[in-house]
Amino acid sequence: MSWILAGLAVWALGLAANIRLSKSRSRAAALAVPVIFGLTLVFVWEAVVRGFGISPVLLPAPSVIAARFAQSGAVLWQDFVQTVLKGALTGYVLGCGAALLTAVVVDRFDFLRRGLLPVGNFVAALPIIGIAPILVMWFGFDWQSKAAVVVVMVFFPVLVNAVEGLGDTSAMQRDLMRTYAAGYWTSLWKLRLPAALPFIFNGLKIASTLALIGAIVAEFFGSPITGMGFRISTSVGLLQLDLVWAEIVVAALAGSAFYGGVALIERAATFWHPSQRGR
Amino acid sequence: MTKFTGWGIASAMLLAAGGAQAADELTLQLKWVTQAQFAGYYVAAEKGFYEEENLDVTIKPGGPDIAPVQVLLGGGADVMVDWLPSALAARENGAPIVNIAQPFKSSGLMLTCLKEHGIESPADFPGHTLGTWFFGNELPLYSWMSKLGYKTDGSEGGVTIQKINFNVDPLLQKQVECATTMTYNEYWQVIDAGLKPEDLVVFKYQDEGIATLEDGLYTTEANLADPAMTDKLVRFVRASMKGWKYAEENPDEAADIVLENDETGAQTEEHQKRMMGEIAKLTAGSNGALDPADFTRTVEVLLSAGADPVITKDPGEAAWTHAITDEALK
Repeated sequence: MSWILAGLAVWALGLAANIRLSKSRSRAAALAVPVIFGLTLVFVWEAVVRGFGISPVLLPAPSVIAARFAQSGAVLWQDFVQTVLKGALTGYVLGCGAALLTAVVVDRFDFLRRGLLPVGNFVAALPIIGIAPILVMWFGFDWQSKAAVVVVMVFFPVLVNAVEGLGDTSAMQRDLMRTYAAGYWTSLWKLRLPAALPFIFNGLKIASTLALIGAIVAEFFGSPITGMGFRISTSVGLLQLDLVWAEIVVAALAGSAFYGGVALIERAATFWHPSQRGR
Repeated sequence: MTKFTGWGIASAMLLAAGGAQAADELTLQLKWVTQAQFAGYYVAAEKGFYEEENLDVTIKPGGPDIAPVQVLLGGGADVMVDWLPSALAARENGAPIVNIAQPFKSSGLMLTCLKEHGIESPADFPGHTLGTWFFGNELPLYSWMSKLGYKTDGSEGGVTIQKINFNVDPLLQKQVECATTMTYNEYWQVIDAGLKPEDLVVFKYQDEGIATLEDGLYTTEANLADPAMTDKLVRFVRASMKGWKYAEENPDEAADIVLENDETGAQTEEHQKRMMGEIAKLTAGSNGALDPADFTRTVEVLLSAGADPVITKDPGEAAWTHAITDEALK
């Protein structure tokens, strides 16, 4: 009972603090609000699990997950390397790279736009649980097949965004380039690619989270005995739910860092764009 | 929590007082999909053995993503079918589950290798890739490897363990050199795929002296502390064992009953009849009571897992009880 009361008290305190802070316009306050919210959530979770005596098999307390996180560092790191660095990142680089090159080609030849985009659309609509087992069969059990799944998943969103972006220049701007006697490649490099960057980064940001999901889910369909997806899918059978949650924490951290990294690069590369100004 | 249990007992008593005819409800969570591996329970339901004991039993099929222990602890079932290794691993991770009956006497677990890879005895394992299912099914293989003194991380002089899904494709496609199979199921998938028994080298865990107890019945310590529940469990075990013995004697009829209960329609008659024949060999010799010697052997096998033990301490007699079977077999 005392845990539940403590949970209620902390929740009320956190809420009060956030209501006060949200009135302030300082940068510190803007940062403090989400932090306080997150900490309150974690504490209330802990209090509810302890207060109601919820079985650790159904929902482990954050403290248990944290203890497991600290204790299983070696396993978590090994899984992180396998899934994020080898599977997701390789697939992301290959998939996004291929999509960007394809976008330039598609943009150059109109018949490709009409012919290739519907095919890309079709591939993107294939459910991952349908293609993952096939790709595992083709590329083997190790990370290569996970990277292949990621390539399939990230290719289309990046392609569509890049094609859209390359078309995002006005007739006036293109005419101006022509008066400068700029050829196709010069105007692509100096005008249309920079103009497309906000769109391209949009696709890259979507792809960053897709890549992680793809790599983890693909591991459910055959994997070596390492990797985050492997650990999540098999530890449940042994009731090591704390380890499953520790993996989920790693996935959340890696996903946020990945997305944040892409967003930072975007800010540096598209500083001139209205959406980035004044930040 | 205690409040809810109190309500449960109160309402159960009300029900019992109100309608003496109403059968007691009990839910069984299977370890795997509906197939002849669980024929005894389906036969008991179909033949009215549960009804005779005034029980209304719901049989929940399992599947690749269902952990029976989780269903049991979550309150989705009163009894579950599980293997002792995964049950003990779960117990060590804080799940208070207890074996109340053991209808399977022998182990149907095997490691099946293709002869062409030159594996003739366990001494030939190093340097090869062995495929197994996980989700608790990998534990006997890990114990065996550590008993043989082989590392399982793919290093020099050790073996590589590979997670495979519940089919034999990786073996047929040479992605693994050996694969975990059951005498009653996957072994026949290999045969059906066109391979002949003489193409295969088969290691039965039973023959290697490392057999662990498979399909037993488990419930929670809380259930065992509740007299109303233990009474139901006694009747359930009695009727289930009657079902098992009936299935052993009438394998074809049992296979038909299983097929009728297969809601997915995925099972075939030929497959189920063959499976029932193999299952009958495993249940033969068990009256439902756990043989403590078998339990001790399983624990020894699991504890012997060297650097990476499946369980770290002997759970002792707290992990099983004869209370239910003693009463049921009277």
